[in-house]
Amino acid sequence: MSKIMEWVDARLPVTALLKSQATEYPTPKNLNYWWNFGSLALFVLIIMIASGLFLAMHYKADANQSFDVVEHIMRDVHFGWLLRYLHANGASFFFVVVYIHILRGMYYGSYRKPREILWWFGVTLFLIMMGTAFMGYVLPWGQMSYWGAAVITNLMSAIPLIGEDLVVWIWGGFAVGDPTLNRFFALHFLLPLVIFGLAILHLWALHAVHSNNPVGIDLDEEKDCIPFHPYYTIKDLYGMGVFLIVFCAVVFFVPNLFLEPDNYIPANPMQTPAHIVPEWYFLPFYAILRSIDFLGPFSKLAGVVAMIGAIAILFILPFLDRSPVRCFRYRPLSRQLFWIFVVDCFLLGWVGYNPADAVTLDGALPLTVVGRTGTAIYFGYFVLLWVITAFDIEKHSPVPKSI
Amino acid sequence: MNIMTTRGRDERAGQTMRLGARVKPAGVWVVVLGLLAVLLPRGGVASEAMHLPKQNWPFVGVFGQFDNAALKRGVQVTVQVCMACHSLKYIKFDRLRQFGFTEQEVKAFAESQGRTKKDAMLSGMDPVLAKDSFGVVPPDLSLITKARKGYEDYVFGILTGYASESDVALARQVMADGHAADGEVREVAATLHLDPNHPEKIAETLKRIADGGNFNKYFPGHFLAMPQPLMDGAVVYADGTENSKVQMARDVVTFLAWAAEPTQTERKALGFNVLLYLVVFTLMLYALKRRIWARVH
Amino acid sequence: MVTESEEGRRDFLLLATSAVGAAGVAGAAWPFIKSWSPSSDVLSQATTEVDISSLAEGQMITVPWQGKPVFVVHRTVTQIELARKDDTKSLPDPAKDADRVKRPEFLVLLALCPHLGCVPQPIGTGNYGGFLCPCHGSHYDTSGRIRQGPSPRNLQVPYYEFKDEKTLVIGKATV
Repeated sequence: MSKIMEWVDARLPVTALLKSQATEYPTPKNLNYWWNFGSLALFVLIIMIASGLFLAMHYKADANQSFDVVEHIMRDVHFGWLLRYLHANGASFFFVVVYIHILRGMYYGSYRKPREILWWFGVTLFLIMMGTAFMGYVLPWGQMSYWGAAVITNLMSAIPLIGEDLVVWIWGGFAVGDPTLNRFFALHFLLPLVIFGLAILHLWALHAVHSNNPVGIDLDEEKDCIPFHPYYTIKDLYGMGVFLIVFCAVVFFVPNLFLEPDNYIPANPMQTPAHIVPEWYFLPFYAILRSIDFLGPFSKLAGVVAMIGAIAILFILPFLDRSPVRCFRYRPLSRQLFWIFVVDCFLLGWVGYNPADAVTLDGALPLTVVGRTGTAIYFGYFVLLWVITAFDIEKHSPVPKSI
Repeated sequence: MNIMTTRGRDERAGQTMRLGARVKPAGVWVVVLGLLAVLLPRGGVASEAMHLPKQNWPFVGVFGQFDNAALKRGVQVTVQVCMACHSLKYIKFDRLRQFGFTEQEVKAFAESQGRTKKDAMLSGMDPVLAKDSFGVVPPDLSLITKARKGYEDYVFGILTGYASESDVALARQVMADGHAADGEVREVAATLHLDPNHPEKIAETLKRIADGGNFNKYFPGHFLAMPQPLMDGAVVYADGTENSKVQMARDVVTFLAWAAEPTQTERKALGFNVLLYLVVFTLMLYALKRRIWARVH
Repeated sequence: MVTESEEGRRDFLLLATSAVGAAGVAGAAWPFIKSWSPSSDVLSQATTEVDISSLAEGQMITVPWQGKPVFVVHRTVTQIELARKDDTKSLPDPAKDADRVKRPEFLVLLALCPHLGCVPQPIGTGNYGGFLCPCHGSHYDTSGRIRQGPSPRNLQVPYYEFKDEKTLVIGKATV
């Protein structure tokens, strides 16, 4: 065995790479369980690629067949139901894991210098993941698939001058149809591989600057770090075990928890369901899109810009935060802003779930008002974070010199 | 020793700080979630239909199991009543043998729709003809309990929620003079579970019932193309069970719930083993993790 | 400090956990592997039922079974006698006619030439009163046995049974 490895190492330094980047890779010893969600995301990605690959072996992208084929997978293919429920629920769990991963980064200041490029890879991953999830949702060709695709692609028509032509080009027809389904399937197959590649770059960027930690200070590699293996291999494995318990409980016992009943009705271009909602993970952004409704003819474009802006603003987050301290534990104002931001995301999600014309308090409070307020709070977080840190308004509490 | 104390103090300080961090967000959570609970949205497309009563289905839930006798009765109702218009395109007649029907019985089911036992359970009715008589093509029932909000409760609600004969007679009587008086409106509203605050709407509803519209208290919008499908005694059960409307509705929903996902029994059974394995394995990982990390702590 | 006995226990724990984990990975792979097996709608096509009540003596039909052609021949008395007479001859792939049929009047053959997979022509086209494969000139007799030409083996007899007097079921039910 060692002879073989010697031979290989002389040509490709595998052992040295594993040693420096995996087994002996120095990792802060004070990482808490929120740091498990990075490896979990990779784990879910692998589950998604494996189940997706095997689903693709049975699936047909065809407007006349796709709905039936999904039912064929559910009913006739051995363990087809398992593959499909793993994949459908895996998408939801992927977003749960990634949202926690992002919020962890925001709370502990993991986007701060020198981790900006690491953060940008992450935000890009998130964007591509959203696109992949959206296209995947179209493939079962149920009512929600169809009308979700119709509504989201129609957003492009808000782009001045080329919008209308662009939408027709994306559809490959005069409405969402067979050509759309085919190209979405092709892209849905490709993008996960792009995600995988970007995840490797994300890891490279991480290993170049090493992990942040809950205290948010730069650590002494000798004193404060431990080798990744066995400490974090076992901790990550344990995290995966806990994750799998929750995930499998949903897959085996409430597999339709995240699925809309309407998507068990075949796509019908002649009839829109009474109430269309995107998948839960898009709801906050959907709410932001709909909340810009007061600009008359410019509302549509402004809504699209606001929605894209809600994600794009994450790119400049490293430059907005000017505090000398990374971790929000020692930054009382930032911390409060952060929790308001988290609650606001749930609020926006709830607004996005309800019909646009719904009212609360017996008509006294239209939901659009709540939505606008939520949108203002969402963007307000980034503006205020900049204000309180750039103008030294926030007084941070004492930061430990070491862990 | 000295190091230990320092670390201990640091940890305590960290805890107080974190505790402080937690109190405030918790307060925000309580306020916002409380508001959400109070401000539950109304209106929009929220339908005028009545809230669906929750039924107790023995096959629902983690430990849920199908009752084979109910399934067999459900098949009988489905074939003899529903399939006059509706199909179940994802189920083949032959499959029904797994409930204990003989080959002859299955053949008879298939032949009643002009099919063979190897065919899918397609209705004998021509979809074009169906559209001509009802205005819509009757939806396929293979996935019906998964494809409606309210699931099994919804299908059961629709099957049992039609206006009774006396309700229809009442509507005719009220509308005999061409309009509904205020007192009458209140009385009828209570009987049909309509919102008494909109008398014009009630009058309009009554007129449609009197004109032969298919009123159903659980259907969003109240009027649907399908006339009441189940009446007491519509089917004579092979096992002699009482053939009331409610009994038949329960049985047919049981079969339709099976048809919506025939693999669900297999799914739950496998799920138990998988979860049992995962819990044991995760506990082992946790023990190993503690032991390995004992070197650091 | 970790004592030696604790280390020993950990080694056992490590071994046990690894073993359980490896079993889990293998178990998780099974659904993926199994998903390639013929699905239940394919398996339900494993058998073909043929109504033979209207197949008159001397007639032959070709029916599809598992996507392949099968000859069902209602043999005449002459054809049966011819087949039985040749039982004793020296044949390239020796077989008795009685072993190739369940009821002498019905001959059921997988209509793919064992040579290179062509479909032979109907009974009566070959030199021995049987089937001729047009691709390379293999001649089969009235029992479907190879008599002349490049084919190394007889025409295969698929599994079949008579469900009742008028129904022939080709293939074995798998579900």
